[in-house]
Amino acid sequence: MAKTGVEQSAARVNNNKGKHPTVFLGMSGGVDSSVSAILLKEQGYNVVGVYMKNWSKDLPGMKCPWAEDLADAKRVATKLDMDFMVFDFEKEYKQKVVDYMLAEFKAGRTPNPDIMCNEEIKFKLFFEEATKRGADYIATGHYAKSEDGKLKLALDQNKDQTYFLYRISKDAVKKTLFPLAELKKPEVKELAKKHGLANAYKKESMGVCFVGDVGMKDFLREYIDITPGEIRELETEAVLGYHDGAIFYTIGQRHGLYVGGGLPYYVVKKDLEKNIVYVSKNLNAKDLWTKAITLDNIFIRDGSDFPKDGKIMVRLRHRAPLVPAIFEKNHVLFDEEIKTIAAGQSVVFYSGDTCLGGGIVKG
Amino acid sequence: MIYLDHASATPVSDKVLRAMTPFMTDDFFNPSSAYLPAVRVRDAYENAKNSIANSIGAKGNDLVITSGATEANALAMTVVSKNGKILVLETEHASILENVKKYKFDIIKVDKNGLINLDDLKSKLSDEVELVSVSLANNELGTIQPLAEISRILKESRLDRLKRGITTQLLLHSDSSQGLALLELNIARLGVDLMTLNSAKICGPKGVGALYVGHDVRLTPLTSGGGQERGLRAGTENVAGVIGFATAIEAIRGHSSAARKKYTALVSILKKELEKAKIAPIFLGNAKHQLANFLPVSFPGLDAERLVFKLEEQEVYVSTGAACSASKGEPSHVLRAIGLTDTEIAGSLRLSLGVLNDEENVQQAGKIIRKVVDDEVRRIYG
Repeated sequence: MAKTGVEQSAARVNNNKGKHPTVFLGMSGGVDSSVSAILLKEQGYNVVGVYMKNWSKDLPGMKCPWAEDLADAKRVATKLDMDFMVFDFEKEYKQKVVDYMLAEFKAGRTPNPDIMCNEEIKFKLFFEEATKRGADYIATGHYAKSEDGKLKLALDQNKDQTYFLYRISKDAVKKTLFPLAELKKPEVKELAKKHGLANAYKKESMGVCFVGDVGMKDFLREYIDITPGEIRELETEAVLGYHDGAIFYTIGQRHGLYVGGGLPYYVVKKDLEKNIVYVSKNLNAKDLWTKAITLDNIFIRDGSDFPKDGKIMVRLRHRAPLVPAIFEKNHVLFDEEIKTIAAGQSVVFYSGDTCLGGGIVKG
Repeated sequence: MIYLDHASATPVSDKVLRAMTPFMTDDFFNPSSAYLPAVRVRDAYENAKNSIANSIGAKGNDLVITSGATEANALAMTVVSKNGKILVLETEHASILENVKKYKFDIIKVDKNGLINLDDLKSKLSDEVELVSVSLANNELGTIQPLAEISRILKESRLDRLKRGITTQLLLHSDSSQGLALLELNIARLGVDLMTLNSAKICGPKGVGALYVGHDVRLTPLTSGGGQERGLRAGTENVAGVIGFATAIEAIRGHSSAARKKYTALVSILKKELEKAKIAPIFLGNAKHQLANFLPVSFPGLDAERLVFKLEEQEVYVSTGAACSASKGEPSHVLRAIGLTDTEIAGSLRLSLGVLNDEENVQQAGKIIRKVVDDEVRRIYG
């Protein structure tokens, strides 16, 4: 790990604080992790704030706001009289998250880098490094619950982030505190305000950090050679327009098609080989709906939590409602047709409030 | 609030604001228009430029108004020919160090106080060097550079070139963003060919600067268009900004000696207070060659950024190193250049005094900083 001026304070941690368990808290500079710091302090932990510096590309007009986030995180830690460190995971993040994401897009799938980041960085590298440096626990500002070694839904169903956490290791969950497990977002905001945290009103971060404000499309363009191609209507094969790279289109997507007028078109199919994107006006087009999804890379948190009859609830995207399904081998079967989700996205399993794991849509 | 960061920004004075306002409202006309009200605006603009120029012993026509010091610095560099080389000081502001990368360049070293190493300058003055850029005073340490002496060295070098039949230009540029209020500047006496002036550091508006361009100095415009600023900087004139700049510069004229005296006294109050801290402060640079309002100080072993946040809670505002490098999360290249260790750099604050300071608030700030330093010492060492 490169030693910079910012990390100087890192050398001095854990002095004379042996009486209380030590928690290394991942801090992003946002309101959730900041309030987590307050709660952990109130619970009597010796809290060490850690900013994870992940990979960011710094080009003119393309800037990840990491320096400001770092300053925000450090400001909160300082105000709360906490030790603070920077863990530099740039290299690992590039390899494990960015390169994976690019490979997935190149293969025509729609990956979820946040899930990969939690699995590989936050609940692996961060967990390991923190443990090495004497942490009894790690903590993050995620809306999720860790109970008896199980990953469970947060009280705030609307904010629950277990969708992004289903692949994190069981060892890490056992040693993770989620201080926001029992809180609702408005309460979190209120706490931040009460404690005079400057970032209480900060806009919530959306999307992937390293892409910053420019958006995924501009980012991908930097790395992937794009070939323009035809947009055809599924039913008629008629050429309706041209796209600027098939990888930018996700099945079920409605926006961004350069075909105007009348009813909206939906992306229903991509032929990467011929570089054709197929669209349809027909919301009932069979490619848009399915009763079965086949998964890859399935991660089961604890087989014994699985209902014997295979009847589970699944979540198809973050914040989407839970829907009943049956898990059989590597298939998820639904009673009624559901709107398909793109290859590369995750399907996450639940039973009651326990997250059972999940898998990645094959394709 | 106690503001100890005048090297970053200064408040626009009431007088400046009052002078500017009409040129954004009643007298909004484009100075290039033909009708009389516009002509009057043109006159006011030219008068303001004259006033700015006069304060450094130049004429209004010698100035190119810019959007600030960064643009003026970039414009100054366009003076070099395709094969020409630029020499810059290693402690220059990013606006110099980043822009110079577009040219052939070399770096001149500084000594442990941040003063230019004149022997290094001489050894690097090869025949291809066309421009030497040395700021009047450094923005982190306040070190005042011996411009007149540098100019003499360049003059000798020019003579030597002529003797050998070489006619390549050799010019001196200086960014005077820091120090404009505290030093009497005279173009002829300093012997500079190009000088950057900045309104934002002297209680004028931000977004206005100027480049003094000596006679026989040929620049290449960065933007083209309507031919404003003698064709060197196209775009409708920032009339209100220039009026504000002129008003600000007039306000400091003739007061530099009194200002130096005032800040020397205030800095010594601050120093005395800081010396009582539980960790011995290192005052950076050499006061003899330093702007009177600068107090760069390191508390080795502490994290200056934490001090900034702790002080912010008590409404005392200071910078670590330079604001620019701090926001990039990189340790200051200036402090590195004067040979500080990583620990010393990490513990460095830049305190810079100005119009918002007096004996009382400086005394109080000193006490607050000392307390915050002591608290951090306690947190770390128990």
